Amino acid sequence: MKKTLQTIIHGPWAYWIGAIILGLLNILVLIVRGQPWGVTLNIELWTEWIATNLGILSNRGITLTDLMAASGTYLNFGLLIGAFWATLAASQFRFRPIRDKKFFFSALIGGLLMGYGARIAYGCNVGALLNGIASSSLTGWIFAAAVFAGTWIGSKLLLKYLM
Amino acid sequence: MARFSIDIWGEMCPIPLIKAKKKLSTMQCGDILVLETEHSCTSRGIVVWAKANRYSIEEKEVANGIWHLELTKTHD
Amino acid sequence: MLLITLLSQISFRLTLILVLGTCLGFVLQKSRFCLVSALRDPILIGMTQLTRAFLLLLGISILGFALVSWGAAVKNIPVTLNVFPMGVHTVVGGLLFGIGMVLAGGCSTGIIIRVGEGFAMQMLAFFGLAVGAVLGERSSVNWRNTFGEWPGIFLPDIFGWIPTLILEIIVLLTLWQLARWWQKKQLGE
Repeated sequence: MKKTLQTIIHGPWAYWIGAIILGLLNILVLIVRGQPWGVTLNIELWTEWIATNLGILSNRGITLTDLMAASGTYLNFGLLIGAFWATLAASQFRFRPIRDKKFFFSALIGGLLMGYGARIAYGCNVGALLNGIASSSLTGWIFAAAVFAGTWIGSKLLLKYLM
Repeated sequence: MARFSIDIWGEMCPIPLIKAKKKLSTMQCGDILVLETEHSCTSRGIVVWAKANRYSIEEKEVANGIWHLELTKTHD
Repeated sequence: MLLITLLSQISFRLTLILVLGTCLGFVLQKSRFCLVSALRDPILIGMTQLTRAFLLLLGISILGFALVSWGAAVKNIPVTLNVFPMGVHTVVGGLLFGIGMVLAGGCSTGIIIRVGEGFAMQMLAFFGLAVGAVLGERSSVNWRNTFGEWPGIFLPDIFGWIPTLILEIIVLLTLWQLARWWQKKQLGE
């Protein structure tokens, strides 16, 4: 019993247990939100708002009130504090700095490509791949194939430049 | 029964595992490979991989959020 | 905790969503679930355990979404599913996203999880993601105008609900078998 509790708090859980719980939570999000789980759209809206207030971008009429009422804000914020709590509860939290300059560039370039790709395809791994397929949409399957092909190219790049 | 270690500190997934695989192929049967990482997923990934390959592996959290792995090459 | 009590005074629905989001983050971290790993490990290492867990997640979600949309139709509650228009940008976006997530070491959820774990690298990737998202959103009009766009195909509209579900489950099971065979083949070397 004590050992089970230890595993629950400390992890790691088996992958398939994670998959089942995540599946149930994903369905619950759809029920409560009336719309599937998504990540990048909300990040984009927040960036627009910040950039507008800094005077970098032209105003597209996004207000703080809208953002605070958007369900995506709470999902993303929940993800962050959920992961933070999970690490804290197992007392595994520590600041992990970048140890090598090459990761500085790969993170920045990777992030940019990912953000750009996600927004022109209307969703990221969660919104377009997982929930696109879960919504029985043909677009989801096509996006999945494209992401897999992209992963293959990315792996080749990783072997060439990051090893 | 030699002990080897490779530096995977701060490397991103899956580079540590690829490096470990390379090193392992140059090692003798019974040799031990020592790895240390601060990345929870990396540590987990190596353990799952080693188990699927039927190598014996020991995982220990030596400090908060730092994992110490000892992989024994039990067979070729 | 304080935040949740405060929020529950304003909106019950948003509080519930915050709790669900927190649970998602917790489970993702604890089970070390990583969508990048699910897609990348078969290629680089030949491990497909996480890939098969991801297929299970897909299967559960497909069945659950079908049930929810059926229940919502019976009770007349509006539920929007993610049926997006498709076009050249779907493929190009997928390719770029795939390359980016391998380089950044996490997809959009993975990055948020790892920021929560304290990785400086993913904080930088998050910044890149935010900037890239704005660039993408602002240029998506150009993609649509240049290459055109077709309305998204909702498979049950063509085949009906039951055949669609059977078809999708068969595809997932085939992929599952393929993944198992692949891992055996890769480890056998």
